[in-house]
Amino acid sequence: MNNSTGISIPGEGGGGGGGSTAATSSWVSPTSVSTSGKRIQREMEELNNDPPPDCSAGPKGDNLYHWVSTIIGPPGTPYQGGIFFLDITFPSGYPFKPPKVVFKTRIYHCNVDSAGNLSLDILKDGWSPALTINKVLLAIRSMFSHPDPYNPLVSGIARLYLADKAKHDELAAEWTMRFAK
Amino acid sequence: MFRSSNIVARIFERQVRTPPPGTSVNCARQFYENLFPSYTVYDVECPDHSFRKFTDDGQYLISFSRNHQDLIVYRPKWFTYSCKEEDCDLPSRAKKFDSFFTQLYCVSLASSNEVIYKDFFLYVESSQFGLFATSTAQFHDTPAIGGAVQGVPSIERITFHLLRLEDGEILDKKVFRNDFVNPAHNMGAFLYDDLLAIVSLRYQTIHILQIRESGNLVDVRAIGTFCREDDELFLNSSTQCMAIVDKSKMHQSSWSHVENSVNNTQPSSENSFLSGIKQRLLSFIFRGIWNEERHNSQRVQGLKKKFYFHFQDYVDLIIWKVQFLDRHHLLIKFGSVDGGVSRSADHHPSFFAVYNMDTTEIVAFYQNSADELYLLFEQFCDHFYATSRNSLYMNFISSHSNNIHAFEQLQSIKNKASNFSQFAKKMLASLPFSCQSLSPSPYFDHSLFRFDEKLISATDRHRPSTDHPIKFISRRQPCTLKFKIKPGPEAGSVDGRTKKLSSFLFHPFLPLALSIQQTAFLQPSVNIHFRG
Repeated sequence: MNNSTGISIPGEGGGGGGGSTAATSSWVSPTSVSTSGKRIQREMEELNNDPPPDCSAGPKGDNLYHWVSTIIGPPGTPYQGGIFFLDITFPSGYPFKPPKVVFKTRIYHCNVDSAGNLSLDILKDGWSPALTINKVLLAIRSMFSHPDPYNPLVSGIARLYLADKAKHDELAAEWTMRFAK
Repeated sequence: MFRSSNIVARIFERQVRTPPPGTSVNCARQFYENLFPSYTVYDVECPDHSFRKFTDDGQYLISFSRNHQDLIVYRPKWFTYSCKEEDCDLPSRAKKFDSFFTQLYCVSLASSNEVIYKDFFLYVESSQFGLFATSTAQFHDTPAIGGAVQGVPSIERITFHLLRLEDGEILDKKVFRNDFVNPAHNMGAFLYDDLLAIVSLRYQTIHILQIRESGNLVDVRAIGTFCREDDELFLNSSTQCMAIVDKSKMHQSSWSHVENSVNNTQPSSENSFLSGIKQRLLSFIFRGIWNEERHNSQRVQGLKKKFYFHFQDYVDLIIWKVQFLDRHHLLIKFGSVDGGVSRSADHHPSFFAVYNMDTTEIVAFYQNSADELYLLFEQFCDHFYATSRNSLYMNFISSHSNNIHAFEQLQSIKNKASNFSQFAKKMLASLPFSCQSLSPSPYFDHSLFRFDEKLISATDRHRPSTDHPIKFISRRQPCTLKFKIKPGPEAGSVDGRTKKLSSFLFHPFLPLALSIQQTAFLQPSVNIHFRG
């Protein structure tokens, strides 16, 4: 379990000084830190300078390989008004292996299963080292407005989406109101 | 104008003068300066019970048997006697407990392997119901199964009993299994009118119950994993239609825990969704930081430092304690697991959230040293003492927001404090307030009497006892010593070194009090203080 050693105080001045969260990913070997770590660092700067709309992300504590991201439900979708938290884990083989992204907020979506795992081609076979976290976040955000009912994780939702979109949107909005506020 | 504080003069004045509008209660309360529990009956012959408290309406004295299995309820009565002109000693009856209290009944609350939580008692004044708790033994190294928090002890069975105090009839029970509710000083539960909040530390759920006039405990909602009362039902019904076509996926998420868990609504700890209340809390913090900055890039920078860096710490926070602010809002204290169980919770950082249970929104969030919250506490302290105040005299519980003397006392502590944030933290440590922990007795009214708060106060606690009597000094000029309360034997204890603890039970409006002094290995000595 990813347990931090204590609770650090979110001081107004902020800063990563109060590092109380231990780096817990023991599987990160020191050699890979140099290559993958540098890459992640660079992507973080890129994200900070030019974040995709309604998206933000950052490392949990001082563990560079474990991030949290927040996506605000895009306007005009049934997810509007929701705040969706996602866990992002970078493997030590990054960027040659894709990051693992999991929803921490419940969502009614045909491409997200009941444990929060999402099926997105670019996070699986479609992954390329040229992709960055910025692009991943953009892809997830567009998933909100354009679900892919033909490659579903939850076929029930996909079927409803194709058969009765109004009913689907109503349910998705209800989920957002209940679980993503 | 000179006003005599002589009781005869006061009665005469009451007869001829109309008090200024709205102050008749205050004027009537001045008579307490003349009528006080000045006479002490030392070492009263009394049953060997542990005396808990007078109910706030003064109708009952609650006590528990020494083995903590039975509840014994007494009715306080005024001790009367007559005497001839000269020789006015108290009759020997005055040495007897029975002369002051009539036993109404004795009921067994705990079965053989259970004990009554002796620090726990809540009184529903409107219907004269009492709420008691019993529990089986506590286990510390219980594995945290089914979504339980690691590090919180477990109790096989905690039962809350609702009794009609008039006749001791048990009306209803609410049982928590393999759970942990903090029993000390009503910490784990809070009563507001007919609404009862019970905090399950182990499953991180605030159970809201309603106490009906009919004597039923009715579940209203459970706040924790879910926020709305029908969230779980909604989720199950909408996932069921998914499950028909997608059985394998469903299997993973919700069925694997049913076998080994008592509370299968809890998600597993690994790769689980945030609980309902955590989602609300995190999105509130997120939105606050998001709206601070206009520029997108600065926004993300701010979030990185103030939010994502501490994300896991926020996720790991647990609900420690809860109080009602009104019928819709809860004040929730969050902290680390260690601080929730240990007694020295002050060293651990903690946070306060105001949560609206109807809209399921977090309204405010503060750190435990926030000056903003402290200032609210300083100015509007009475709003935090949200109790159902049925009787008029319940409005006279002194606080620094309603009493100039208490306020001055607070100011002097504040001026002495070297570090403001430390001071704020210390003051805010009393939040959320423990329910019904203050005595409404007029002798604790700071506008009437001055006394040493280290030795005695309206707060219902055990205190270290000295052999010196506790002085109650009048606030009015000339500030004379009005009466003394001395716990323990009249001659003082034989051995001055042994540690003694005293507790005081004051009747809410009569000049009648019990002091109980406990010394290790000895039977406690009970004194009755009354106006002889």
